[in-house]
Amino acid sequence: MKGVIIIGLMAISSIWLYQRVNDLIKPLPKPELDTNTYWGPGNPTDYEAPKDVVPFKIAYDQTIIDDLRTQLNRTWRYAPPLEGIKFEYGFNSDALRHIVDYWRDYYLLKWRAHEEFLNSLPHYKTEIQGLNIHFIHAKPKPEAYKEKKVVPLLLLHGWPGSVREFYEFINLLVEVSDINDYVFEVIAPSLVGYGFSDAAAKPGFDVAQMAIVMRNLMLRLGYEKFLIQGGDWGSIIGSAISTLFPENVIGYHSNMCLLYTPLSMIKSYIASFMPERFLPQRFFAEHHFPLKDKFKLLLVESGYFHLQATKPDTIGIALQASPIALAAYILEKFQQTTGPGLNQEFNAMDKVYKLDALLDNIMIYYLTNSATSAGRFYAENMSRKFLGLQLDRVQTPVSMGCARFKFDLPPALDWALRDKFPNLIHSTYYNQAGHFAALEVPVMLYINFQEFAKKAIQIEEAKV
Amino acid sequence: MGVFTSFNGLLLLGIAVTTAMFVYKYQEISSSAPIPDLKHDQYWGPGKAAEYKENAAIKKFDISAKPELIEALKKKLSEPLVLPEPLEGVGFQYGFNSKYLSEVIKYWRDSYLPKWNERETFLKQFPHYETQIQGLRIHYIHVKPKATEGKKVVPLLLIHGWPGSVREFYRIIPLLTNPNPKSDYVFEVIAPSLPGYGWSQAASKVNFGPAQMSIVLRNLMLRVGHEKFLIQGGDWGSILGSSISALTPQNVLGYHSNLCNTNHVVALVLKFARSWFPSFFITEENRAFFKTMGKDLLFIMEESGYMHIQATKPDTIGTALQQNPVGLAAYILEKFSTWTNVEYRQLADGGLTKRFTMDELLDNIMIYYTTNSITTSQRLYSEGFNKAQLSLKMDYVHVKPPTGCARFYHDLLHATDTELGTRFKNIIHSTYHSNGGHFAAMELPQILYDDFIQFVDKVFAKSATHNT
Repeated sequence: MKGVIIIGLMAISSIWLYQRVNDLIKPLPKPELDTNTYWGPGNPTDYEAPKDVVPFKIAYDQTIIDDLRTQLNRTWRYAPPLEGIKFEYGFNSDALRHIVDYWRDYYLLKWRAHEEFLNSLPHYKTEIQGLNIHFIHAKPKPEAYKEKKVVPLLLLHGWPGSVREFYEFINLLVEVSDINDYVFEVIAPSLVGYGFSDAAAKPGFDVAQMAIVMRNLMLRLGYEKFLIQGGDWGSIIGSAISTLFPENVIGYHSNMCLLYTPLSMIKSYIASFMPERFLPQRFFAEHHFPLKDKFKLLLVESGYFHLQATKPDTIGIALQASPIALAAYILEKFQQTTGPGLNQEFNAMDKVYKLDALLDNIMIYYLTNSATSAGRFYAENMSRKFLGLQLDRVQTPVSMGCARFKFDLPPALDWALRDKFPNLIHSTYYNQAGHFAALEVPVMLYINFQEFAKKAIQIEEAKV
Repeated sequence: MGVFTSFNGLLLLGIAVTTAMFVYKYQEISSSAPIPDLKHDQYWGPGKAAEYKENAAIKKFDISAKPELIEALKKKLSEPLVLPEPLEGVGFQYGFNSKYLSEVIKYWRDSYLPKWNERETFLKQFPHYETQIQGLRIHYIHVKPKATEGKKVVPLLLIHGWPGSVREFYRIIPLLTNPNPKSDYVFEVIAPSLPGYGWSQAASKVNFGPAQMSIVLRNLMLRVGHEKFLIQGGDWGSILGSSISALTPQNVLGYHSNLCNTNHVVALVLKFARSWFPSFFITEENRAFFKTMGKDLLFIMEESGYMHIQATKPDTIGTALQQNPVGLAAYILEKFSTWTNVEYRQLADGGLTKRFTMDELLDNIMIYYTTNSITTSQRLYSEGFNKAQLSLKMDYVHVKPPTGCARFYHDLLHATDTELGTRFKNIIHSTYHSNGGHFAAMELPQILYDDFIQFVDKVFAKSATHNT
């Protein structure tokens, strides 16, 4: 009798435990979201977005540039670094001083050349859901359309980046090459709240809303089916578009393949004991493990994330009130991502990214006054509403490709990625480079993307 | 919501297992960690320690700001403000509201700065001094009671925190240093600027954490001539006070804090337990002070972004704030809003002037601005949470001097006497005030003073009984 009762109790608690665990790890259905929410100011009745696509040129008055030079020429107020310290406590104030001097006395004196460079790709604006969306629309030469198949590609940046990350990459993508039969029409928008795009005027503009706007942008331009490539927020938004609108996505390529679900974390923990069982090659283990080190890295580098996710307006005010504040805050990330061998050196950023490219990027944040709205995106994505969507647990049939660069944030294992992307058709590891892959190693990223695109397009064509 | 209930289940399971492990190791955990062997003459200034010869003189200190600095500030505040538009319908939920900030900047420029000389005179009402301790110029206010008829004079070390300054104590110092029928004691107040804050020099060397800083503060008291003294503090002042009490108990007559806390692991377990069974651990009248653990964690996550970035990248955020009086004001004033009452986040003006005058808030900002100390003030966080500091295990070094804890309802966190008892072995005074927040000395000086003198009475009553 006692035995029966015990077995009965164990059976009941096992079932209960199984159900609780299953609740946590089972895939979830796709949410259905309103694709026409108005995000502009006020509450206009009968709002209809004008459908025209208007060419846009980046052109700033010389007075603005002169005023910036004046601001950069003030008496320097800073605390000297602690003795023997370089960038271990954050951006080194001596290094910053050198950069500010360069910015003021060299870079800004040739601002028109930089502006011309930024305008070397064609820019446009169009209004979606109450927001003016800026984008680069780069097309291959007319001859290319006869030689190769031209496929549309939505290219998404992140924080603290901008479309500037993609200039070299875009020039490769629109160029006919011998690698394969495809060449791309690239649509590279400024995210809502970033760069030359408007910011949402109302609370609640999270990744899902951004995905809706970006997909609407592609539809506006006449593209029902397209590829997506992105890193940082661009990767997360690309994943959301693939999840919410799989019918529009030929393939989704990411250079920051993160996945944070209870199941992926459990799998990560299990794999940490025998990494070779879960990786195509054992020397990829350093991308993922040891978990303790990866966790520590995230903790040390995520102060900005925590601050922006909770008080974006406070830090935003500080960044917008001083170009030097903006530079220190943004460049800290570029300095850090130059890699463990270089990131304490004063000239690391110039070596890895070229200082002018980084200043172009900072100028975009400065001239468009978008630092606060950019940071608010973090707060919106920590809302209960967005986290409740649990998009990472919703499966999508979209073809997925993953390029893992060594010094980026720790990526997910294929074993975990397949739970969301059963059609993970392309999975690669690099022993170098980091977070800003398009800027750091554009050729490498381009070749990887081409390999993925070929597989994804062929699968798409086979469906018809 | 399914995620959260299941997650709670797993959490409960995990904590239960952990609790079991700790109960097993309780004996080891409950005894005091050894007092760390820290040098009392460690050199923190620039250059080589061998070349340092300490100047033990005490000199008067002029806190006047250079007029050029004030002129430059007026000019900077006159520039067009580049501020983001707040999201529709938002108060302080996303941080400092930029619409209200433009009002603050306007007042600062047009009303406050024109009377800067008055403000400086106000700040100079107490005597300011400087002396050199372990390579650092330490600034402090030193007020000796003038009228002491029939009262016993006791030295008191008054310690501020972040983002505060000695300015927080300007209303309580007259209460402490003047005789009062409610108390047999009157206090000789020494209120320093923490090293790296205000007019005190910052350390040039790494690893100048709170334990090391508390030695400097204790040496300051010895320099001024006091072997035995009381301590009062909140925020970092509370932590520093507990460190002095742990490291050099022979100097401490009593330690009073308005933010008593401990990170002792047993205290965390107790915290979890009282989150689930509040009636078991907390009397009914005080239950409102203690949130559930879930709410506590959520609140900590929402409000600790500044701590996270300061503990990891102080040079980045500090440099960003140094050229930037507008940014500095927003960053610091946000705390005076939310930490006074978290409900003020709903308000378009953050409720800043509900409990404080704009003048006193700006006095504090001016101290950070004119001394250019924001970066060095923030380094205390990175030094305070690094491996070197944590390895000292200060949270496990018992505090034996008589301890008093005053809790103000809206402050950031509260701990029960049981939880505090894991580290503080001599709690003789424990109060709950249904009003007030983090900056108690500035917000409710009379209540804090009344609480403090009750504590002091108990300190000396206790020692009196010990002596007989």
